[in-house]
Amino acid sequence: MNNIWKLVLLGAVMAILLLFALGLQNDPRNIPSPLVNRPASDFTAPALQGGGMIKLSDYRGKWVLVNFWGSWCISCVAEHPYLMELAAKTRNRTDFVMLGVDFRDTPEAARAFLARHGNPGYPHAQDPEQKIAIDWGVYGAPESYLVDPGGTIRMKHTGPLFPGWFEQRALPLIQGATKP
Amino acid sequence: MIRVSTIGLLTLWMMAAPLTLEAEVRGEDPTEAKVRQIAKELRCAVCQNQSVYESNSDLAKDMLKLIRDKVSAGESEPQIRDYFFQRYGDYIYLEPTTGGMNKVLWGAPFIGLAIGAVALWSAMRRWRAKAMEESRSDSTRVETDPNLQARIRQELDQVNL
Repeated sequence: MNNIWKLVLLGAVMAILLLFALGLQNDPRNIPSPLVNRPASDFTAPALQGGGMIKLSDYRGKWVLVNFWGSWCISCVAEHPYLMELAAKTRNRTDFVMLGVDFRDTPEAARAFLARHGNPGYPHAQDPEQKIAIDWGVYGAPESYLVDPGGTIRMKHTGPLFPGWFEQRALPLIQGATKP
Repeated sequence: MIRVSTIGLLTLWMMAAPLTLEAEVRGEDPTEAKVRQIAKELRCAVCQNQSVYESNSDLAKDMLKLIRDKVSAGESEPQIRDYFFQRYGDYIYLEPTTGGMNKVLWGAPFIGLAIGAVALWSAMRRWRAKAMEESRSDSTRVETDPNLQARIRQELDQVNL
């Protein structure tokens, strides 16, 4: 009888320690977004590099990677080479496009950023008062959302996208959706 | 005479100053009062435990602006709170909500306390029963064990005092 209770106590302590250890490994910035698996809020905003307006729903039928960034954001500089690489790699895909949202920024500063760090070639929407950003539940930059062809947000990534992100995170979703 | 009146004026002014301040809050635009009320209960998402109203961060300032626009557009407080909840989850509420799964969190300490009380009560009952049984069996053993008594008597007999 006594031994059973000792085992139960040991088990409880171990369970608490295990939960604690698991909790420590969580990224405190990675707050689960309630927007995942909900329809993405549409936006229309002036394009950063000219060419009129950018409307998210124009890209219906394709997977859209919406990347929130700003020229003031230091992590975006670290993320930028991968965005360049990803844009070049996916240029020929017919089912995937990339879209930047330059928020809380001035067009001059944003253009200077692209001139300095390289222009990945996909369009960017301007969001100086971060209305789109708040509408999309953005905390900071960079944050990225993957929107499916039906216009539903399928994934959120907080922080810079890492090399291999597309193959590890996005492709399984894209391929999973096209399979019957 | 001049000095007295200066001091008098100064005192009057000091007494009146807080009054005017309060009057400003009282006479505040009702829209702004509502904005303040809503913004005080929303967490500034990028700060440590600060409300949108108190924070100086850019995100909080833009959120405040958005709240102001929404209040001006005639949206109700629950509508605006829900707008932020839909986008940021219940993390956005400075005061934890008591609905949904959070009920478990709020209730768990009381359930734990109740379980502990029951466990303690039954354990105490067991301890008491055991202690009573032990004291009873101790006394009876001494009285009724004839072998032991005989042995003690024998030992005592052998001792020459």
